[in-house]
Amino acid sequence: MATQPVGQSVSSAPALTTEKSRRPAQRGSGRSRERAEAIAAYLFLLPYLVVLAVFLVFVSLFGLGLSFFRVDLGFTGPVFIGLRNYTFIFNQLSNVSLSDFWTSMINIVKFTFFVVIGQTILALAMALVLQAIVRARGIFRTVFYVPAVTSSVATALIFLWLYNPDGIINYILSLVHINGPDWLNNVFWALPALMLLNIWTTAASFMIYFLAALQDLPRELIEASEVDGANRFQTFWYITVPLLRPTIFLVVALGTIGAFQMFDQAKFMTNGQPLNSTLTPMLEIYNAGFSDGRFGLAAAMSVILFIVIFIVTIIQRRFIDIDTSR
Amino acid sequence: MAQIQARPIEAAQTIQRERPTIRWWQLIVLIFLIIFTITSIGPLILTIISSFKTEHDVLAFPPTLWPNPLILSNYTTILSNPLFLRWMLNAFIYAVGAMVLNVIFSAMAGYALGRMRFPGRNFIFLLTLGVMMIPSAIYLIPKFLVVNSLHLTNTYFALILPAMAQPFSVFIMVQFMKGLPKELEESAFIDGASRLRTFFQIILPQVRPALTAVAIITFQGAWNDFQWPLVALGTQDMYTLPLGLFFFKSEHFTQYALLLAASMFNTIPILILFFIFQRYFIEGAVSSGVKG
Repeated sequence: MATQPVGQSVSSAPALTTEKSRRPAQRGSGRSRERAEAIAAYLFLLPYLVVLAVFLVFVSLFGLGLSFFRVDLGFTGPVFIGLRNYTFIFNQLSNVSLSDFWTSMINIVKFTFFVVIGQTILALAMALVLQAIVRARGIFRTVFYVPAVTSSVATALIFLWLYNPDGIINYILSLVHINGPDWLNNVFWALPALMLLNIWTTAASFMIYFLAALQDLPRELIEASEVDGANRFQTFWYITVPLLRPTIFLVVALGTIGAFQMFDQAKFMTNGQPLNSTLTPMLEIYNAGFSDGRFGLAAAMSVILFIVIFIVTIIQRRFIDIDTSR
Repeated sequence: MAQIQARPIEAAQTIQRERPTIRWWQLIVLIFLIIFTITSIGPLILTIISSFKTEHDVLAFPPTLWPNPLILSNYTTILSNPLFLRWMLNAFIYAVGAMVLNVIFSAMAGYALGRMRFPGRNFIFLLTLGVMMIPSAIYLIPKFLVVNSLHLTNTYFALILPAMAQPFSVFIMVQFMKGLPKELEESAFIDGASRLRTFFQIILPQVRPALTAVAIITFQGAWNDFQWPLVALGTQDMYTLPLGLFFFKSEHFTQYALLLAASMFNTIPILILFFIFQRYFIEGAVSSGVKG
């Protein structure tokens, strides 16, 4: 109760004149006031605590527990089967190309690798361009941010049309005499097409992080390097980029977590096809649960995906964030 | 006099000296500015224009720029579909319900965590930070089973209940609440105001930017949500707009003009909100991510 002395010295003056009866209660024992404050606090917290307890904490633990059961809704009750969901999944490693789950894991590793690199570079480039212009920065910031507010479903519809074999993208390619593929029906090009779409939507939102970070950079340092005769590229590479390291880590980490869980476009645009080339783990988890009714298996897949994301994020922290900890 | 005369000459000289280097640099910036502008809003503008084209024109190769003839039938076809209006209503109920509740509940939680002292405060705050970092992948299946066992699937409750108090929003509110001066409530308590009245009349008006930011992120998240409604809803009349569009797409698979017009119903409301409240969109996006 560090605030008590201040509060009481302020409150004593008016209390003397007006509400004498309140004084004893207020001064009373500090204990009852503390208890009253705790009760009030928990009442304020109640709705949030219910959601936190049920839909976040319980649900995560339930998911973990579920992965040790066989659950098919309606027919029989859940049956404890130990690690058999996991052994079932890991046994499929012997023939990865026949396993939907491991195919989806390979897809998502490729997807995440290119999307994270693409979105980070593009987001940084957009932020640098905005930082470099003097006039109308606000307007262009708004313009650049538009892809981030449009829903994944609406952009998916738009890109279905753009990627169609006679669509605008292939038209632009034909102007430079390239015969564009049937993007979303081509085993090789479907995944890159989704990568491009994902980079387009996510770069805009990550741009904001870089913009905020660029505005917080110490001006003097950049000016000093320019005075010392460094050109713009040198200043950028040796001063700006190292200073942006924490932001780069944040963007890469959030981007990785997001990309690993890609679902909307894969479900909406290709449904994992052609030949599972755009099947993502989240889509496979959805299919295992809601198409095959194997909720325990799906939960086990979720746990594996969760662990993979966790490990990758920690590795990234080691590589990118290492300098800031010094 | 000498000084006054000297200045313009000096200034002119420095401008001349710097001009060549500035020029190529500015050119690069300008080129990228144009490229990014085209890639950012180009697809959307093309979509708006093409939603007034006929099916034949929308797939014309080479593509035409202006709709000729300009038709409204894509929009009238969609609006004459009663299910489509129902989907918009459902999405609106989900978005507004989640928005209103989340703003109130996360502000209340933020007030308690940011401005009150009680046992367990640090634990709850750390738990909030913790769950923010858990990838939502692990929730999908168990969350459905929980909602299913509560017999709430295919209801608005299934959509709104899990979204009515979100850790991200609580985190934003805590940060804002902490920044307010202590004297604020103390003077209110002296005047005999209850905690609840202090909260609604004194505190909430002070954190209006945070409330707006939370309101907008929540609305946007729910309005655009696809995955959870796909899992939680069962019958067509309960679909939200993104989910409805998914089934609309499989029904009208290659009718691109119709699909583009349909996508506008999802995009335009959020774009209007964005242009009005863009500051809060962007502030909200930053503060929800910068958590270290």
